[in-house]
Amino acid sequence: MPSKYSLLKESWNMILMYALALIMIFVLTFHLLLVSPLTGRTFDQLLNYNYVLQNLTYYRIVFGLLLYAAVIHGLNGLRIVLIEWLHVKRFQWAVNVIIVILMAILLAFGTYTLIVL
Amino acid sequence: MGEEKKEKRYKSGLLRSLWPYNFNVERYTYTLHRITGVILILYLMAHVFEIYHVALGPVAWEQTMALLGSLGIWEKIGLWIIAGSALYHGANGFRLILNEVFGMLLGKPVLPEYPYTPTSLSRNQKIAIYLIVLVVEALWIWAGIYLLWGLGII
Repeated sequence: MPSKYSLLKESWNMILMYALALIMIFVLTFHLLLVSPLTGRTFDQLLNYNYVLQNLTYYRIVFGLLLYAAVIHGLNGLRIVLIEWLHVKRFQWAVNVIIVILMAILLAFGTYTLIVL
Repeated sequence: MGEEKKEKRYKSGLLRSLWPYNFNVERYTYTLHRITGVILILYLMAHVFEIYHVALGPVAWEQTMALLGSLGIWEKIGLWIIAGSALYHGANGFRLILNEVFGMLLGKPVLPEYPYTPTSLSRNQKIAIYLIVLVVEALWIWAGIYLLWGLGII
């Protein structure tokens, strides 16, 4: 039964989760390949400032897509775990509020990083 | 099991639900999916702030890397756990999309009859689960070797 504290109907929430998961399968695989030994670089070379900066600026849109998909999918997943754990309306309301605040903070930091580079 | 004991178990919350009592293989995948999901979101929060230091310039980035580097082998073990979590969560998530969005790998629905074998745990479903475990294990070992190589251990 939909709670009055829900931001979306849970059925739409799940469709959003699946859609974001599908996006992430491709985008995250791309991100992991960029930091994998397949690039021919050692672990320390992959963490070199210029290499990280070059990747973030060159693939800005891909990383933006990954940021939004991962943050929304991840925090919504955490919200689901928490509200299924404790069926107390006040707790569920608090979880929803905290998750929205966390989402706003993470997206603000991530978007700022991608824009100013 | 007595009624009182049963009642207590139903009210025992998250930690008890993770306790692998009377689980079938699908329940293990479900539990592991949640655990790896929580690990990944905690890492993601830290990772967004880590990458934010790129925007602050090379000095801030090098300081962050030095701080993480000071963790020594624990940094690599942490990354290895995160790599394993990402591999498992991704592969199992893909299986769940096939199951729940496309209705694939599921058995035909039947009336529940004793001993209540779940039809969702079809032969194809079991093959998919074991294949995921195999592929994730192989890639996780590869990630471990790569991280140890980065440490100069091998």
